[in-house]
Amino acid sequence: MAAIRTEALTKHYRVGFWRPRPYVALEGLTLSVSEGEVFGCLGPNGAGKTTTLKLLMQLIYPTSGSAEILGQPVGDVRMKRRIGYLPENPYFYDYLTAEELLQYFAGLFGYAPAERRRRAAALLDQVGIGAERRMQLRTFSKGMLQRVGIAQALINDPEVVFFDEPMSGLDPLGRREIRQVILQLRERGCTVFFSSHVLSDAEALCSRVAILASGRLAGVGRLTDLVAFQARGWELVVGGLDDAALAHAKMTQLVVRDTPLGDRRYALEVPLSVSPERAIAELTGRGASLVSINPLRETLEDYFVRQVAAAPHERGLGTGT
Amino acid sequence: MRVIGHVAVNVFKESVRDKVLYSLVAFAALLIGVAYLIGQLTAGQDVKIIKDLGLAAIATFGLLIAVFIGIGLVWKEVDRRSIYSLLSKPIRRHEFILGKYAGLSLTLIVNVAIMTLAFYAVLAYMNTQFSEASRSVWPAPATDPGMLRAIGLIVVELLLVTAIALFFSTFSSPLLSAGLTFGLWVIGHFNADLRNFEAVVESKTAAYLARGLYYVLPNFAAFDIKTQVVNALPVAPSYLAATTAYGLVYISFLLVGAVVIFSRRDFK
Amino acid sequence: MSGRPGCPGVALAVMATLMAAVIGLQAVHERGGGPPASDAPEFLYVRSPEAMRRLALSYQSLVADLYWIRAVQHYGGTRLSANPDKRYELLYPLLDLTTTLEPRFNVAYLFGSLFLAESPPGGPGRPDLAIALLDRGLRAQPSKWEFAQAIGFVHYWWRHDYEQAAEWFTRAAKFPNAPFWLTTLAATTLAEGGSRGSSRILWEQFARSAETEALRNEAVRRLQQLDAMDQMDRLRQMVDAYRQRGGALPSGWIDLVRAGYLRALPADPAGTPYVLQDGAVMLGRGSRLFPLPIEPQRLVH
Repeated sequence: MAAIRTEALTKHYRVGFWRPRPYVALEGLTLSVSEGEVFGCLGPNGAGKTTTLKLLMQLIYPTSGSAEILGQPVGDVRMKRRIGYLPENPYFYDYLTAEELLQYFAGLFGYAPAERRRRAAALLDQVGIGAERRMQLRTFSKGMLQRVGIAQALINDPEVVFFDEPMSGLDPLGRREIRQVILQLRERGCTVFFSSHVLSDAEALCSRVAILASGRLAGVGRLTDLVAFQARGWELVVGGLDDAALAHAKMTQLVVRDTPLGDRRYALEVPLSVSPERAIAELTGRGASLVSINPLRETLEDYFVRQVAAAPHERGLGTGT
Repeated sequence: MRVIGHVAVNVFKESVRDKVLYSLVAFAALLIGVAYLIGQLTAGQDVKIIKDLGLAAIATFGLLIAVFIGIGLVWKEVDRRSIYSLLSKPIRRHEFILGKYAGLSLTLIVNVAIMTLAFYAVLAYMNTQFSEASRSVWPAPATDPGMLRAIGLIVVELLLVTAIALFFSTFSSPLLSAGLTFGLWVIGHFNADLRNFEAVVESKTAAYLARGLYYVLPNFAAFDIKTQVVNALPVAPSYLAATTAYGLVYISFLLVGAVVIFSRRDFK
Repeated sequence: MSGRPGCPGVALAVMATLMAAVIGLQAVHERGGGPPASDAPEFLYVRSPEAMRRLALSYQSLVADLYWIRAVQHYGGTRLSANPDKRYELLYPLLDLTTTLEPRFNVAYLFGSLFLAESPPGGPGRPDLAIALLDRGLRAQPSKWEFAQAIGFVHYWWRHDYEQAAEWFTRAAKFPNAPFWLTTLAATTLAEGGSRGSSRILWEQFARSAETEALRNEAVRRLQQLDAMDQMDRLRQMVDAYRQRGGALPSGWIDLVRAGYLRALPADPAGTPYVLQDGAVMLGRGSRLFPLPIEPQRLVH
């Protein structure tokens, strides 16, 4: 059974006060996420990631289409007992301490007071702010609030968790810790749906991703299967390459681009039409030594730039493709 | 019900931590104390003046608390997006609204109770300062429990003000909500003038409009029996009951409206 | 079912029911006569116009408007109240505040003086204060002949002091822009002050020069009162004639109709039938013209 399923989910806002025009925040999103999957929802800012998550949490109502989680329509209270949600840039109550906040939320699930305390303490330790549990939240930094936000999303041992930009506001150490949290959830069999605009997060964690651009689904599948991310060539780093050998390699189309790295070292781009073995043989035959070889792939950022450039700028109705 | 209670307790906890509230309660208590000093300035009427001022202070500071916390309750959650994580929990939107209202009502009742205690403490002290003879000319004893009737109606009035503030704050900004709430409160106190409007205007339309508003707008003037209790004039129990019922029905009306609006809202 | 909760027919019905209950309770409250009566009088918090002028900051005109509305409400409310001991205690202080805050509030002077001069129970019966108010208006705007005419009017109508009245009308006539008829009015007042004829001239001029609809209506009402007084004189003559002829008092208008004196039940110019009781002819209590002014006494030279 699908953990999350959306069917032609669409959200239009009306913008402008005097002459309201529809603005397409999300158009016809159809997705299905299986149980136990770690699913990434990727896209640049304004692509519709947060809109999707808010629709799933029923913080906003769809213009058309539908969505269900764990086989229940969104908004179903019994279903909500089984999920967790971290909003983007979370913010809570100024005058509560981290511990009280978690206990308050635990209370909404009907746990007994002792159980509330136990869960709050365990989760705050897990996200690394156990020492600050008695501090009021208004004294917390953005990164600490992010950790509190993750802890509150997990207060009920959810079967499905939704994280909106879980890495934002965190330092590299923090990011690694959150990755650990997500991996632990995956091991436990929990379905994780998260949004991000950072490719490396997705590469390290996701089984599948959906890519959104300008409110529309641009692609869904395993990251490496998406056409956009297949290799477009090879990058060879070589040492001891002399000018004559480099000129020859360029003339015979063995190398399409070279970047001098100093001290006769070069980063060379070999097109997909040339086999890497032949290129290595030719170059080492002229006295160069191989330092490294890597496939060249389009990055998520390149992809976004291309998508955004291709998408219609006016996101009104009827201008879409 | 359990969820509503849980939200309410949290509202109470948060507002107790909010120092604004402390300062309001402290200031009200201070004012009741100052009444003693003012009483010293006027011969003979000391206890009456303290009663007048004390009841006015309870009503006024209660009003400030009701409006300023009431308008922020829902708006703050939406503005700071704390509502995002809250609504992802097993809680329905109407439970959220009713919990917020119950929490603020609890806060108000506790505050009024504290102010009432301070009020009676000052009066009890004043009572010791007078001879038996001078006490005998007072219309009512210093610590007349009959004043609790006025305080009771003040509480109902404050609960109504809170419901109005909460209603407005489900769809408008705090500044606008405060303006609208205060506006209704002021108009509600001139309610009797609306009823008599037809006596002073020629236009039939204006008279009908005024009469319509008289019936529909909250009649806050009805809750004010301060002068009567201070002067120990009779207030019929049926009047207290009818006015309380009026307040409670009006509150229900506003809460249903607030729930309807809030349940349909998008949190962008 | 992930859509927005469908508009809430049930919720709207509940709200309508609750509003109906609110209105019902309000009606119950009204039938109970409002809050239990307290003997606390209406209260004016700031009595010093000078202090209020400072407090009003840059909102003087607006505050003046509010006080003017309060003055009208106070006058109207007291006039309509069932309290037999009507005292318009706040009327002058309110007018004083209004005109101090905005010295060019012409309506407040003219109307205010009418309110103040009106005799009880329709007003406080204070022509002295009416003249004082107009006098202040004249000092604030020395070119307004209307104020001088109004002062003359108060002397004429309420104090029956026709010499003073004529003097003020003469003074008003000398103002620049003053209408020509003021001179005539002054002369008539001196010659036959107190007669209904001169009163009629006075009110006719008043109606002609009135700046507002309400002032004009007031003048028309006064003219109708004068008509009513004429009609009542004629009716009294009929009653006398009936008695002399038949030797008994008529039991009602119907006797006079049967005897051929009248063709129908007589009604005053406002449409309310006259009352005939024990041979005395009176204005109906419910008439808009009630009470009639005290008949001005003829000036004795």
